[in-house]
Formats: sequence, structure tokens, C-alpha cells
Amino acid sequence: MSLIEPFQTPFMARALAELIILGVLGGTVGVVVLLRRLAFLSDALSHTIFPGVVAGYLLAGEDGVFWGALAAGIATAALLTLLTRRVAQDAALALLLTTLFAAGVVLVSRRSGYASDLTAFLFGRVLTVTPEQLWQTAAVAAVVIALLAALRRPLLLRAFDPVGAEAAGVRVGLLDLVVNVAVALTVVAAVRAVGMVLVIALLIVPAAAARVLSDRLTVIVPLACLIGAAGGWLGLVVSWEASIGYGLRLASGGTVVLVLVAMYGLAQAAGLVRRRVRLGRARTGLEAVQ
Amino acid sequence: MTWFDSSVHRALAEAVLVGALGGVVGVHVLIRRLPFFTMALTHATFPGIVIAALLGADLYLGGGVFGLLITLAVVLFSRVRGQDFTAATGIALAGGFALGVVLVSAQDGFAKDLTAYTVGDILAVSARDLAITAGIAAAVTLLLVVFRRELLITAFDPVGAAALGLRTALIDFILLAAVVVTVVATVPALGVILTVALLVGPAATARLLTDRYALLFPISAAIGVSCGVAGVWLSTVWNVAAGASIALLVGVVFGLVFLGSHGAALVRRRAAARPL
Repeated sequence: MSLIEPFQTPFMARALAELIILGVLGGTVGVVVLLRRLAFLSDALSHTIFPGVVAGYLLAGEDGVFWGALAAGIATAALLTLLTRRVAQDAALALLLTTLFAAGVVLVSRRSGYASDLTAFLFGRVLTVTPEQLWQTAAVAAVVIALLAALRRPLLLRAFDPVGAEAAGVRVGLLDLVVNVAVALTVVAAVRAVGMVLVIALLIVPAAAARVLSDRLTVIVPLACLIGAAGGWLGLVVSWEASIGYGLRLASGGTVVLVLVAMYGLAQAAGLVRRRVRLGRARTGLEAVQ
Repeated sequence: MTWFDSSVHRALAEAVLVGALGGVVGVHVLIRRLPFFTMALTHATFPGIVIAALLGADLYLGGGVFGLLITLAVVLFSRVRGQDFTAATGIALAGGFALGVVLVSAQDGFAKDLTAYTVGDILAVSARDLAITAGIAAAVTLLLVVFRRELLITAFDPVGAAALGLRTALIDFILLAAVVVTVVATVPALGVILTVALLVGPAATARLLTDRYALLFPISAAIGVSCGVAGVWLSTVWNVAAGASIALLVGVVFGLVFLGSHGAALVRRRAAARPL
């Protein structure tokens, strides 16, 4: 199995570049998602932008997809704020998710070739990423990462001490909106290339794995980016090897997710060992003192 | 010829069953704050269904067994220090769904099969599916009725329930198992994504209409049944996807009730604020 050879063809190289950018973006945003427990929000956003994608495509073709998705993402954030005044947040998210997704399915089910459109949205077509899409993804990643880096202090304060943040003069409502928009932008940038399912995995799994391996935020963020990018790379290699070497077609997006989950499992095992070692060291230290 | 020979009639009967079942179980999902867990569960039963289809085994059995495995995995993951329930659920969701996708993608006829799993096909329900759904609905309802007191006290006061000598872990497991079998019964009709609509929507709508626990169940079941029947009817009239019409109706009904109750609350507040 070669780690580099599959990427000599241009379409595989583009797929790799896209997945590495998304891995870094997903790792960064994922840490915020993990700290603020926004996993369900990310999941909901990845579904609710579907009607936007369909409507954008019907109105303006390929170019409309990005803007349609963005409009639907912002609409979700607004509706969610309205609903949570009277309904528990998880129920509101579940309702928005299913209703908007169903609206998208109804729209798309009137077209012929319905099954293949839906599949493309759910699972993406990372192997057909165009250079133009690659630039779009890179631009979104740069904007979102710069935004989060600039806001890192208030974000941290908000995550660990919401009351203290408010007392310190942080505008919590505005900050939450920025975070929701960052998640929405990530989802929008990623969904066309890698599909809904992989977006959720990229936003949750690398950050959770990095969290198991370290307690320090300055380590967790780069580690999450690294895990996200490495998962994309290995997933592509596995999917390529399986189809070339063994005649077994494995969907590339799904394979990347499985590799990420396997990496999470390894991180859990490593975390367990790390804690045992520390505990042992602390015990021997204690005995030495006594 | 019986009434069940027509696929539309079978779909209507299935819609009534899953609507009522989803409505009743949904009340528990709502008060125990399980919507995200349910979402993960629907996605996670997907590889079970695919494996069962590959092995030629029973689809319901495959989905059910896998669902229970994932439930265990989530409970174990969330006990690990530093991980919360949400992240564990998210990982189970993404991993389970990806496993299903990879398994399906190794087969032929990829897109079509996958669409049936993700958005369901209530018009393809067979008489046997209908019988299984009816059996599951009866069993789950019976379970919820028998354990109604235990479920109620565990939901609102878990510490008090434990102090009374109830085995709360067992009660929790009974409830989660009820959610798992409900999901397994509903997925063939509505698909893995839209099943959540029936398990959350009617109950959340009922919650806006009443504050009384006992009334939640009939109202929620009635909303589930009406949305199910109306959704099947709409889809045959306008030729749109049936599962999606049901989910969309659930959302629309919730939206209307939400606006109505929001308006009513505003009017009440105004009236209360007016000087005597």
C-alpha cells in the first residue's frame, strides 16, 4: 500500500487537497463545537441547508448552490433563536432538521433522477471537486479560522464561564451568532464536496479524539486539525487501494469517516494508557515521599 | 380481495400505526431530552439493516440488534472522562451511518437502495411489514402502560426514584429499548432521517397545547396519526415523496401551533399588564 502513489492523478490530488483543507477547518471549528456542546446543532445545520441547495440549484444552476445553502443556514440560525424561546433546544433542532430536510426532499422528488441527486448531497462527490470549488473552500476556511483566532479569548471565556463572560462585557448573543455562522459556513463549504454525513464526522470526531489525548487547548486545536487532515488522507488511500487492488468499491466519503472513527478509538486507547501511566507515576511519587 | 391489497391502503394503515406509536413514544423522548440520541439511533440502525440485507436475514432483527449495540456504545463512551453524551452520540451517528454507506456502496444499484433507506418508501410497505409494525406498536404501548409510574418518576426525579428503591438504570434501559424498536418499526416507512420527525414533532406540538402529562399522550398520538394519513394522501395527489410529505406536515402543524400559542401568550401578557 502506497501513501503517495494514488495522488499522482489530478482528480485524486484535488480530492486530497480538498480533504486536507476541510480537515484543518473541521478540526478548528470542531473544538468550539466540542467545548460548547454544539454537536446536535452541527448535525441539524448539515440537514437544514438541503432545501437551500435544491432551491439554489433549481433557480441558478451550479452557481446557486453555495448561496442557496448559505441563505438556508442563516434562516436556520434565525428560526432556532425564535423557537428556543418556548421549546427546548434539542426538540427545536430536531423539528427544524426534519422539516427543512423534508422540504428539500419534496422539492427534489418532483425531478427525475431524484435518487442520484439526493445521494450526491448525502454522500458528496469528493472525487469530482473542481479547482474553483477548491479555491472557494480555501477562502471559507481562511475566513472562518481567522475569525475564530481573533475571537479566541471571548470564545474561551464564554465556553467555560458564560456568567463571567457577560459580567466582563462580552456580548454573548452576538458571540453565539458568530459561532453559529462559523459552523454554518463550514457546513456549507464542505457539504458539496464531501456530503452531509462526512461534514458531521469532520466537525465532531477529530476534536473529540484530540480532547482525549490532551487537556491543553493549545495542543488540542492543532492536534484536531492534524487528525482531521490525516483521516482524509488515509481514507482516500484505503478507498483507492480497495477499488484498484481488490475490486471492492468503497464510497470515499464513508471510508474517510470510518478511518476517523477508528482514529478516535485509537485515541481512546492511548488516552487510557496515558492516564494509567500518570496514575502509576503519581503513586510511586507518593510512596517516595512517604 | 381485501382492503389491504392496495398499496395506498397499506400505506395509510402503516401511517396510522407509526403515527400513533411515534406520538406516544415521542412524549418520553421529549421529556427525557433524547431527540439527538434518537437521531443517532436512526442513523446507527442503518448498517444493521444493510448487513441483514446482505446476509439475507430479517431486516428488523438486524436493525434492532445494531441499535441496541450502538445504545451500549454511547452509554460506554459517555462514561469516559472528558467526553460528554453529545459528542459520544455524534460519533456513534457519523460512524454508524458511514459504515452503512460503505457497505451499500460495495453493492450494485447504490443510489436507489440508499435513497430508500434514507428517506423511506411507505408505499412499498408489505402486509408482513404492517403486521410487524402492529405487533411492535402493541408491545411498546403495553410496556409504557405497565411501567408508567416508574417512567414518570424516573423522568422527573431520578434521585428520588433511586431513593425509593427503583432500579433507574433498568428503567432507563427499558425506555431506550422502546425507542430502539420504535425506530426500527418506523425506518422502512420514513427512512433514517425523517423518522425523527414523528418521534419529536407530535410530542413537541402537544407540549405547546397542554401542560398536563396525561393529556400529552392522546394529543401527540392524534397529531401523529393525522399527519401520517394526510401526508400519504398528499403524496398520492401531488406525486411527491410520501415520507417527506409526512415530515413536512409535522413541521407545518408544529409551526402553526407555535405561532398560535405565541400569539395567545402575547395577548395574555398584554391583558395582564393592563392597569385595572
